[in-house]
Amino acid sequence: MSYGFEAKNDSGKVIINDSIENLHFIGKATRSATTDSDYGDFPGYSSSNDTLDGRVIHTYTISCSGTPVAFIKPVDYARWHGIVKQSVSGSTWTFEVMISGTSTSNPPVIYCFVNADDIPSSSETHGMIVYKSDGTTKTFDSRRQPLAITGGGTAIAPSDPTNTSGTPGTTSGHAWNYSVNDHDFRSSGQYTAYSNTVINTTNTMFACPSLAQACYKRQMHGYKRSCGFLGCCCQDHYSTAAWWVMYRSAFRIRSGNFDAGWTGYAAGYSFSSVFESGGWFGGGGGSYSSGTMPYTAKTINLQSNAYIIADSSRYD
Amino acid sequence: MSYGLSVFKADGTLGFSTADVTWQTLDQFTVAANASVSNSYSVATGMTIIAMRQLVNVPPTSQEDYAPDVTISGTTVSVAPQTGLASSQCIIVVLAQDT
Repeated sequence: MSYGFEAKNDSGKVIINDSIENLHFIGKATRSATTDSDYGDFPGYSSSNDTLDGRVIHTYTISCSGTPVAFIKPVDYARWHGIVKQSVSGSTWTFEVMISGTSTSNPPVIYCFVNADDIPSSSETHGMIVYKSDGTTKTFDSRRQPLAITGGGTAIAPSDPTNTSGTPGTTSGHAWNYSVNDHDFRSSGQYTAYSNTVINTTNTMFACPSLAQACYKRQMHGYKRSCGFLGCCCQDHYSTAAWWVMYRSAFRIRSGNFDAGWTGYAAGYSFSSVFESGGWFGGGGGSYSSGTMPYTAKTINLQSNAYIIADSSRYD
Repeated sequence: MSYGLSVFKADGTLGFSTADVTWQTLDQFTVAANASVSNSYSVATGMTIIAMRQLVNVPPTSQEDYAPDVTISGTTVSVAPQTGLASSQCIIVVLAQDT
């Protein structure tokens, strides 16, 4: 270059220049008191494969100019985390952060970064500022901590979010009123691991929005035909049992690994049983439903999404 | 260190130095539902570019919510709905790293 500023790191790579903005730390988002915890098991069902991952939604806000890049610093590194929603009203940004499990304790810490030109004004009189050639747009300002990363790339979860091999489906031929789930809808074993030796379970934080979603359902149809003396007055009996889970992609930090996987976001169970009228016997039945599956069974938005790994302790 | 650049915080502790690695921000924008956008970043010639997508205002338990596709070709980042599908409003953060 003929003018301006450029700094290269020890590997000869540009880390500061006068044409591209660096991200700078502006603060930790504030967590609201309200949390939403649910789906540790199927609502209204109690038998085999009832247990689910569970999930807790914590809500955070931060006010800033520009669009913040939010990093999740887990407190409980054994749990899966993901930002499932990011919205703005005026200059206040709201993040909904999902973590696996049903305990509302140990919420993660959300570190927020914005472009150099969007950082709040500072009264500090010492430091270094780099401007673009227009002389007004900042690309770097040492008065706010610049982002230094320790890893990153793109990540994608496996397409099947369920622990049982293969996605669940519908079967017939079960006994009437049969309602025993044979599919493990948990996601603890369904992830893609990305290795990085600097990742630890003490200070590591990551930025990777939850993009992929999935819905899957196990459905069982039951049937029985009963008849009176000498085969007269026959009745047909039908039953349907269904279990469904909606998933969002989620991520976990292990020592030396960044895992891209899933956590159940919502779930439901339904059961219906009917018997037809047959001669002397009247018809009837009943049903139960704890919710409707949002859409037909599939995985959507399963695409590689960028992720960044950094050391949170530099910003404490 | 014997050479390089170190930037210290007001309290005297090291804030950033040429021992660090970073991703810089080329752009941040929000793509409206069903919209397509294509931007070129000549300043990032020779750099690695990645794009981070975040859905906005997801109605998570009521409908299918499709993120737009992002294609990176050289220094051009293109965002468009997935083929045959309506896409939802999405925040795009475009990052670059010297290679």
